Amino acid sequence: MRALHRKLIRDLLGSAGTLVSVIAIIAIGTGSFIGLGSAQRILEASQQAYYRDYRFADFWVDVKKAPLSAVERIAEYPEISALHSRVVFDVILDLEGEVRPLTGRLISTPDQGFDHTINGICLVRGSGFSDDRNEEVILSEAFAAAHGLNIGERITLILNRKRQSFVIVGTAVSPEYVYMVRGVGDLVPDAEHFGILYVKDRYARDVLDFKDSCNQIVGRVARGGQVDVDTLLDRISRDLAPYGVIETTPRKRQASHRFLSDEITGLGVSATIMPAIFLGVAALILNILMLRLAQRQRTNIGTLKALGYSDRRLMAHFLGFGVVVGVLGGVAGMGLGVGLAYAMIGVYRTFFQFPEFLTRAQPDLLLIGMVISVVFAVFGAARGVREVLRLQPAEAMRQKPPERGGTIVLERLPWFWRMLGFRTQMAMRSVFRNRTRSVTAIVATALATAITFMALAMYDSFLYLVDYQFDMVAHSDVDIGMRDEASMPALYESRALPGVDEAEPVLGVRCDLQHGAQSRRMTVTGLSTEHRLTTPRDASGEAIQIPDEGLVLSRKLAELLDARVGDVIELTPVRGRRETRNVHVASIVKSFLGIDCYADLHYLSRIVGESLAVNSIQLAVDPVQSAALFREIKELPNAQGLSVRADAKHNIEKTLVETSVFSIGLMVIFAGVISFGSTLNNALVEIGDRIREISTLRVLGYRPGQVAGILFRQSAVTFLVGLLLAFPLGYGMVKLVAAAYDSELYRMPVIIRPVTVVLTAVLAVGFLLVAQWIVYRQIAKLDWRAGVQVKE
Amino acid sequence: MAVASDSRVASRALMRIEGAGRVFRMGEVEVPALVDADMSINAGEFVVILGPSGSGKSTLLNLIGGTDRATCGHVWHGDSDLAGMSDGELTEYRRTVVGFVFQFYNLIPTLTAYENVQVATELVANALNPTEALAMVGLGERADHFPAQLSGGEQQRVAIARALAKRPALLLADEPTGALDLPMARNVLAILQRSNREQGLTIVLITHNPAIAGIADRVIRLVSGRVAEKRVNEKPLAAADVAW
Repeated sequence: MRALHRKLIRDLLGSAGTLVSVIAIIAIGTGSFIGLGSAQRILEASQQAYYRDYRFADFWVDVKKAPLSAVERIAEYPEISALHSRVVFDVILDLEGEVRPLTGRLISTPDQGFDHTINGICLVRGSGFSDDRNEEVILSEAFAAAHGLNIGERITLILNRKRQSFVIVGTAVSPEYVYMVRGVGDLVPDAEHFGILYVKDRYARDVLDFKDSCNQIVGRVARGGQVDVDTLLDRISRDLAPYGVIETTPRKRQASHRFLSDEITGLGVSATIMPAIFLGVAALILNILMLRLAQRQRTNIGTLKALGYSDRRLMAHFLGFGVVVGVLGGVAGMGLGVGLAYAMIGVYRTFFQFPEFLTRAQPDLLLIGMVISVVFAVFGAARGVREVLRLQPAEAMRQKPPERGGTIVLERLPWFWRMLGFRTQMAMRSVFRNRTRSVTAIVATALATAITFMALAMYDSFLYLVDYQFDMVAHSDVDIGMRDEASMPALYESRALPGVDEAEPVLGVRCDLQHGAQSRRMTVTGLSTEHRLTTPRDASGEAIQIPDEGLVLSRKLAELLDARVGDVIELTPVRGRRETRNVHVASIVKSFLGIDCYADLHYLSRIVGESLAVNSIQLAVDPVQSAALFREIKELPNAQGLSVRADAKHNIEKTLVETSVFSIGLMVIFAGVISFGSTLNNALVEIGDRIREISTLRVLGYRPGQVAGILFRQSAVTFLVGLLLAFPLGYGMVKLVAAAYDSELYRMPVIIRPVTVVLTAVLAVGFLLVAQWIVYRQIAKLDWRAGVQVKE
Repeated sequence: MAVASDSRVASRALMRIEGAGRVFRMGEVEVPALVDADMSINAGEFVVILGPSGSGKSTLLNLIGGTDRATCGHVWHGDSDLAGMSDGELTEYRRTVVGFVFQFYNLIPTLTAYENVQVATELVANALNPTEALAMVGLGERADHFPAQLSGGEQQRVAIARALAKRPALLLADEPTGALDLPMARNVLAILQRSNREQGLTIVLITHNPAIAGIADRVIRLVSGRVAEKRVNEKPLAAADVAW
């Protein structure tokens, strides 16, 4: 082995303590790159394979009732490669031992070959439909698992106003419900209260009065040509218009697909930003370390140059530090990354229902991670060494001239400066004279604290979102959806249900909204004039009253339609007389889930051109009587769906807490490593540089704590500046994340609770104190008797 | 004692310094460390450059050794002017022509005696074996020791071994005994003198100690950055007879 290699190894071992923190930060950077990148690829590959193997649809068309003959005509479009018609209904489920009626989505499915149809289903348990009987059901696996339902057991559905018992013959997953939400507007899957029920196709059509007809068409487009699905859907809408097209959904707007795709995109963004932050900080710290190492080895460098070593060769020698640190950080990062990927897939398993996660190793990502790690480390090292290498050997061999001893800016305020006392003065001078080191410390503290702040603030955002949507806007305890529209007497009947304090009618009408070039098909929600159970709120959070005329849009919808208050929108109901009306935007409200459009119930009925009707009822109920109420609801023939606000809220909160513990915990640990590593590293470099000064103070009789106090003051100054910068920086990060997630599915409110600010500061101080404790131990252990004899 | 005739030595000059000067810039102030130096170093000669602290002798040594550049004048090695060399050419010059010995030894603390010599031998093709070089300075037994485990005299001998191992044409020693007591200093000087006499190695040694000047073939005295005197020792002392 060459002598310089030996020197490299011994120098590395000699500064192992300080290098560990850099290696840890690099490992986190590389680990997050590999972990997030792998998770993204695994998710994407699983999605693609699943969509391909089970023929995930390119579009959905919901109609009131279309004859199969009309569907067959559409199937002949050249753009369409496959078409499948089915019957889809939300139904009430009555499970034995479950007080609450649950909502199920019944989907008619071919008796055989259901795995080969569009949106094919993949059996997880059971053997599928038999020839023995009609009343068989395949349940979505997550729902079955949530209720401990097994093959051969029975469940009761209310089908076409009749209670019907079904035998469970299988459990399954489907590409349509990878993320099992009812639709846009739901935030997280709720397997306990919502399940998919696959029943035999012919039987479903018979029992639901859909013989030779259907209410949903799903299709795939021909792969070869560039098919514009939106244009295709327009054409299908026109052709099926006589049968009442309720909704057309291209894949890009399908709820499950959007959640999954957004997650994959988000992972890709995180896999770029996180590593960049961590590796950037690592490079800065390594830069300081190397500068110091090079300065300490000034004489060595000069001697080697005098011996005839070229700058290039010496550069290579010092870059060896970078390479070793980079490789060690890279290897640790690989381990961390693989672990992180597995942990993330573990979390995703609870959200996304796949037949299998394609958890392949990603050798190229590992390799790229390693390369990035080494490049950042070498870059950090190079910057540090360059300055010393530039010197002529004779100059390098002379001791470095004393540090600039001039006064610092604070000394221009003599009254303030004198107040500080000599130990603080020493600390302040050091902060001002070692600018690069101080700036790095500030940057590291600011970034680390901002990351912690962002992680905690995101939790605040979600909590606020849930409170806002489930307490401030919605006040009803139970919402009952009805299969067929009912007239007002149904409302009075519902008021007679046990424990009902209040009941309000709601009419949801699918409408096309058009403003200029922008258009949207969506449900306009008609609220009663005296609505108290739903209170949309304006931007300032004030509840607003739905006006007698005009529409109330949520901010996101207004953005999508490019509409402002007072603008006139063309509204066309997709049922009834379908007359286009010009309606004005009366106000814009704040909403974080889905997109909303409200109107007065009577006004909406007039627009549709029908007499007053309702299709769901909101109830405020006395919790004591809820069991009796649920029993009655199970018997309501017209009930189609049910949602209990407390359950929905609880489900979201539970899911958020579970995932937040993982993601916030991870972020805080990562941020802690940056903060702790940087503080510790700076202090250790400082001890090395000032060993003589520290030793002298010890000789004079200062206790280790008093000496450590000087270094602590110095860290505290950069820490405080970093902390002050961290909050605006963190706030900016929260804003950026909120902007990144601003979609039709949901928006993140930018809300920061005071406790988050306090907790962030406490965590940051905690990291600082732990690092300072180690510094104190180092000073206590320092051989100060030898220190005073160190040759300058 | 007679003033050396430059014409007599020009033919076998290893180095020729003509009007060389070096000015250091300290902020706004220019400090001339060496002014208009003229001299020759002949092959096989043992030259002592004598002068008090601040007289410019280290500066001169650095110009001769190619570890610094003259701000004016010429430093000739054969036909090549060091003043006009690129960094790469200077590195090559230091590598193949010069060996250095420093006052504070400048050993690399994390390498053993053997490895410190190896650092130099790895640079050139026809180098001595490190063991051989250490044996020449009487440290064959201490090859595995780290600098911190060696006395000052031993460390300086390792430094000499490191310089000799490259088989340089010119050995430059900057106050090599400055940090040593008399017995150790004699030991070190004896090794240098032996290399000069037995192997014909050209040596330039700088010192502030007039006692050491006795062992030189020729003495050049610097005062305030200028050459004040050049003289030839007709009968150089043996290193063992040096005393102060």
